[in-house]
Amino acid sequence: MSIINYASREIQFKIVYYGPALCGKTTNLAYIHERISPANRGDLVSLATAADRTLFFDFLPLNAVVIKGFVTKFQLYTVPGQVIYNATRQLVLRSVDGVVFVADSQWEKMEENVESFRNLAENLAQQNISIDEIPYVLQYNKRDLNNVAPINYIEFVLNNRKKRVQSFEVISSTGQNVFASLNAVSQMLLHKFSKQGAAAPTGAVAPTAVSVEPVPAPKLASPAAV
Amino acid sequence: MNCIPALTIENVATLDGILADFLKKSDAELIVVIDRGGNVISQFGDVAVMDVTIIAALAAGSFAATQELARRIGEVEFNALYHQGNGSHIFMNSVDDDTIMISVFGPRTTVGLVRFYSAATALAVSELLKSLDQSGGHGFTFDAGDVTATPIFVDHPV
Repeated sequence: MSIINYASREIQFKIVYYGPALCGKTTNLAYIHERISPANRGDLVSLATAADRTLFFDFLPLNAVVIKGFVTKFQLYTVPGQVIYNATRQLVLRSVDGVVFVADSQWEKMEENVESFRNLAENLAQQNISIDEIPYVLQYNKRDLNNVAPINYIEFVLNNRKKRVQSFEVISSTGQNVFASLNAVSQMLLHKFSKQGAAAPTGAVAPTAVSVEPVPAPKLASPAAV
Repeated sequence: MNCIPALTIENVATLDGILADFLKKSDAELIVVIDRGGNVISQFGDVAVMDVTIIAALAAGSFAATQELARRIGEVEFNALYHQGNGSHIFMNSVDDDTIMISVFGPRTTVGLVRFYSAATALAVSELLKSLDQSGGHGFTFDAGDVTATPIFVDHPV
């Protein structure tokens, strides 16, 4: 759960990158860590095996001034994707505010994507959080590979709930849409806590078309941007 | 209405008073109060030398992992954990169902002293947090217009 400290004028949010094994969750965090201004991030902490598979979680703290007068801290976590580590995923999901679900676009990974999404919904439900209430976005990763499923098929498989969410075609190794999806989920959770967001009916978050084109980085960073 | 649980300036001052008293008596270097999701609620002491956010995330993970270990031997949880280093050590204890206290200390003191004073400190922190819950907390919301319209995070070429 997010928390605000009026003395230090800080707000904290927790965002978890979730998805099947080897879908690119850690690569997302590594890219963000590499490209974001060092003044606005801490160290990337990885609790991984010798073979670089996530054992517990990866953690990257970010900060930005997004609400007038308050420093907002975003804590990014990944979960271990391997099926056997479900107890660990439940621990990492504790007090989560927003989720980026990273799906592997390859045909042969569709079943694992669906299973992982179902597992996410179950683990959230254990914390009395409905998947339809928490801010989340979908990433369709590895779009540069040859054997990927078409977007409309993945949309049908993963994004056919009553409330459709924003989804992004991503190549996490090159960074395509990595920041776009992070910005989207951050805005969604800020919207959730804003007065207008609280007053709006469920599902008020803009339903969404897949952003097919990579979102280019602005040439000049605005003062508020990190 | 969705609102963010908030600590007022008065709450933080009270909490800081409790933590300062603990540091003085125990001679520990740093104390951090966190929730079990890894969010920092309050901190006091020498915070310049380490990244408290990372310590909080790792400590919450460590506490949660050992809770499962405790269950395997018939305990609900281990209510205190001690990590011994060569010069610096960490002592963690449970405050309540949602909160953990982390004490970092060096050769100036002993684990026994830190442990002794941490029990009363945990109780005082727990009572303060409980009083916030009972008063309904101080929820915080903001206008959508207060949120920056520009992208929050920008991809800077290396």
